[in-house]
Amino acid sequence: MAKTINLILNVWRQKGAQDKGRFEVYKADGIDTDMSFLEMLDVVNERLMKEGKEPIAFDHDCREGICGACGAVVNGRPHGPMAKTTLCQLHMRRFKDNDTVTIEPWRARGFPIVKDLVVDRSAFDRIMASGGFISVKTGSAPEANAVPVRRRDAETAMDAAACIGCGACVAACPNASAMLFVGAKVSHFGLLPQGRVEAKERVRGMVARMDAEGFGNCSNHYECEAACPKGISVSTIARMNREYLSSQEMIWTKES
Amino acid sequence: METLNAKIPAGPLKDKWISHKDKIKLVNPANKRKYRVIVVGTGLAGASAAASLAELGYNVEAFCFQDSPRRAHSIAAQGGINAAKNYPNDGDSVYRLFYDTIKGGDFRSREANVYRLAEVSNGIIDQCVAQGVPFAREYSGYLDNRSFGGAQVSRTFYARGQTGQQLLLGAYSALMKEAGKGTLKIHPRTEMLDLVVVDGKATGIIARCLLTGKTSAHAADAVVLATGGYANVFYLSTNAKASNVTAIWRAHKKGAFFANPCYTQIHPTCIPVHGDYQSKLTLMSESLRNDGRVWVPKNKGDSRPPSAVPESDRDYFLERKYPGFGNLVPRDLASRNAKEQCDEGKGVGPTGQAVYLDLGESIGRLGRDVIRERYDNLFEMYERITGVDTYKEPMMIYPAPHYTMGGLWVDYNLMSNLPGLFVVGEANFSDHGANRLGASALMQGLADGYFILPYTIGDYLAIQPPGKADTEHPAFAQAREAAARRTGDLLQINGKRTPDEFHRELGRLLWDKCGMSRREDGLKEALKKIPAVREEFWKDLRVPGSGEELNQALERAGRVADFLEFAELMVRDALHRRESCGGHFREESRTSEGEALRDDENFSYVAAWEFKGAGRDPVLHKEPLAFEEVHLATRNYK
Amino acid sequence: MNGSSSHSRSSIGKKQLVAATGLFLILFVVAHLAGNLFIYGGPEAFNGYAKKLVGLRPGLYFLEAALLVVFLIHLDATARLVLENLRARPTGYRQGAPAGDRQGHSAAGGSFASRLMPWTGAVIVAFVIWHLLDFTFVDRDGPAGILPDGRSYGLFGVVYNSLGNPVHCVLYIAAMLCVGTHLSHGIQSFIQTFGLVGERRLPAVRRISNALGIAIALAYSSIPIYVQLSFWVFSRRGV
Repeated sequence: MAKTINLILNVWRQKGAQDKGRFEVYKADGIDTDMSFLEMLDVVNERLMKEGKEPIAFDHDCREGICGACGAVVNGRPHGPMAKTTLCQLHMRRFKDNDTVTIEPWRARGFPIVKDLVVDRSAFDRIMASGGFISVKTGSAPEANAVPVRRRDAETAMDAAACIGCGACVAACPNASAMLFVGAKVSHFGLLPQGRVEAKERVRGMVARMDAEGFGNCSNHYECEAACPKGISVSTIARMNREYLSSQEMIWTKES
Repeated sequence: METLNAKIPAGPLKDKWISHKDKIKLVNPANKRKYRVIVVGTGLAGASAAASLAELGYNVEAFCFQDSPRRAHSIAAQGGINAAKNYPNDGDSVYRLFYDTIKGGDFRSREANVYRLAEVSNGIIDQCVAQGVPFAREYSGYLDNRSFGGAQVSRTFYARGQTGQQLLLGAYSALMKEAGKGTLKIHPRTEMLDLVVVDGKATGIIARCLLTGKTSAHAADAVVLATGGYANVFYLSTNAKASNVTAIWRAHKKGAFFANPCYTQIHPTCIPVHGDYQSKLTLMSESLRNDGRVWVPKNKGDSRPPSAVPESDRDYFLERKYPGFGNLVPRDLASRNAKEQCDEGKGVGPTGQAVYLDLGESIGRLGRDVIRERYDNLFEMYERITGVDTYKEPMMIYPAPHYTMGGLWVDYNLMSNLPGLFVVGEANFSDHGANRLGASALMQGLADGYFILPYTIGDYLAIQPPGKADTEHPAFAQAREAAARRTGDLLQINGKRTPDEFHRELGRLLWDKCGMSRREDGLKEALKKIPAVREEFWKDLRVPGSGEELNQALERAGRVADFLEFAELMVRDALHRRESCGGHFREESRTSEGEALRDDENFSYVAAWEFKGAGRDPVLHKEPLAFEEVHLATRNYK
Repeated sequence: MNGSSSHSRSSIGKKQLVAATGLFLILFVVAHLAGNLFIYGGPEAFNGYAKKLVGLRPGLYFLEAALLVVFLIHLDATARLVLENLRARPTGYRQGAPAGDRQGHSAAGGSFASRLMPWTGAVIVAFVIWHLLDFTFVDRDGPAGILPDGRSYGLFGVVYNSLGNPVHCVLYIAAMLCVGTHLSHGIQSFIQTFGLVGERRLPAVRRISNALGIAIALAYSSIPIYVQLSFWVFSRRGV
């Protein structure tokens, strides 16, 4: 049944983008092991507020692992120690009494820190605006069953489309690369017949934007896949690499 | 009190929307870009509306308080989206979808709206497939369907257990497409704090940037609210933590009527509460009821583990009481029956506030692999939260607030009583009556955004000279100052209690008195207590930090303050409606068998409340519900 | 869009440049290994192979120049990628932990070799310079080719004398381990970077890549060990 544990937290506190930031140590005593990690932070924050101190800022919303808002690097791992688990779905029964827990924000040039554990992930939106769509206007769609889609392709597209845009892939990558995020999107659309029409423009546009946002390059470490709460495969990166090459108008393929 | 006119087009039900579209006013394509439209909220309704309006050529500004429009709470919808495609050839039709929705809503919704919803449902599926939504498919490559509560046909389209996510990402991609083209501007991390009304027309909003705390004024020719529901008034609900009533409540305070606030939906299949610290409730998709059987032990206080309870000692109460629909009865019935079993002392689990949802038989019949393919992500989620392996033990479930059918009153054009203010998706009251059927929220959000509002907004804009709204108007300055002052006030109370403490207190009160079942004395008690909590809030609140930076406690405080005002209206509405209908169950109004008893003679109307100023009673306006096509009947799922 | 130049400026383009040049270098490493193994055939076979190779000139000059250019492109593109990668994370984590070993995740594998890529690469550059000075830009018929029996064995003797030195031997083996590690990631990285296989075959590719890396390192390393053993036997038996 319910058990309680005591923890020591090392939490990154940073007032704003300009602040240098530092680690602060907090005691989190009497934490129920049935709590989620974010509920544990709620409890710590309530106590801080009672003391008149500023609570730890962290992004979160749905708390069921789908909105992609939450995320922090816990003991060196984005979203904590469990595979395929967002921070909100991580439960305190995964920790032991008297554990020290280090909590840091995503760190990447493409994700500037806003405050404490909150980072600015708007780069992902800009990447999406550079090709992450199928340009069908409302009302112009054909009958839904007009184009059959191989079940396997639909399923693989769904695997890629499961991305929640949390940014853990960037946080985990030693190069702070966003290739898994972009690869997932390129794969999702590219696998469906509806998405083939704009496939070349899409991959060129999204990769160009990704590069411009200051993310690093892919070195095939596959840390992203291991950190992804939705288990998105690095084969999506492979697919994007292939699509990117074939999207290029090389000197010898250029039409006169 | 006045009678509201919903401006429903004349003619036979089946022709209303078609002929309305034929006659509706249009805005000249060259003029569209001169009209600015503000869309608040970027969930299914907001994102689809904003993208579609931008495609048409309007100058659109979209606002969301999340860091990205993709995170709106529509993303969490699991089960599916209904449409009358009749792909399985099981006899579905637009009329049947319409009828099921009207009946599911316990005959408290507008016929014309619901019929239109069913009519455009098929177009939504076409649109989403074209956008690249990876719906489940059969081996043939064609779309797959499953069945859902409240229907006897399979009409639900789904993308694993993440249908809402996939539909929202579809709408979001359309939104980003327009943002990339520059036809639409997105304001993320920006929360609407007030509606600006000039000469009786909605002409803009006041918004606060959550990063800098700066309030800003935005003028527009029309304002569209797509800000979702208010189930978080209960504190514990399946809604996202930040979902709130602020936008529609502030619009209400500026003159928009609030309709049927007491219609709240309690979802039957959620993971039970396990501790005081609990921050939200997690829903398990209702689709589990397709293959799961709901039961409790026959005898009170039977504390044996579920596997030790023999078949003869189990009570499959839904199957017993409703043999026709069994475990697939509408949500309100499923929820209420679970509560009744628990109230009788037959509840299970450590708190006694849970019933079993058992997939054991289906696992035996269909095999683990089939069940795994259908529900694996749900099982995984359940195990992660509770530590229980559902392949071995039945799940425990309990109802939780999930959706709110009430919302701002709108006419057939989805325009509120304030000209220029449109309300779409869960934020309006229009289509679900007193209870929403599963897989209909996604349908309604996208119907409003893709296929209804883009037409009907033109009917209003066409008669407005473009670009008339101007932030220089003193109304903007006033509203902006008021919003900034209110934020400042929250910071200055400097009391002892946190916003969440007040929210929890309010939530508990409402869950007890205005939750799954309601009684006159309880509602009256709540009506007395809420102002006391509110008063306490403004005396003893503590919000650390400043208003010039990201301050999440401050955001929460502002939302709780609005919930504290809104809750009173909700209770008042529940008190006035002395009948049981759908999600609104009045203990005084039931049949001899204990089932909900509607009072069509006295309550067959939409209750739209008008704000009359702080401390003054709101005024009730009625929109009578005329049923020309369907026959008012007692819902019977037996 | 001017494809080829925007391609080589993009992140994926640069990476594909590294991969393509890498493949060329891998082929060279394998061919070189095949030549080296002639050493087991004795001085005649080995020197005969070397002579045949020299006989291919001037065509060989062209190949050597190409090899140099490819090598430099490989270095240049890598250097630019590494610098960009360093810039992409200005502040590191206080506590780092590879994600691959988290509970419930089957480790992706290759993370060790992949993280070491720039370092093994740097070692290889240093080794190549030393290697060229030692074996290529040397007078093969001079004193370096004379073995303890006093006779000149040409290039065969040069190799024996160099690798007979224990320090050289250890350095050579260390360098070859770096080559193997570099390749164990490099081969599968090439396949991933051009997207040649999908999800299902990726694990097999990783295994094959690792196996090839190890095999190449072992095959190369066998030569100095063989040389050491020969000297040992030689010294025991006397001339």
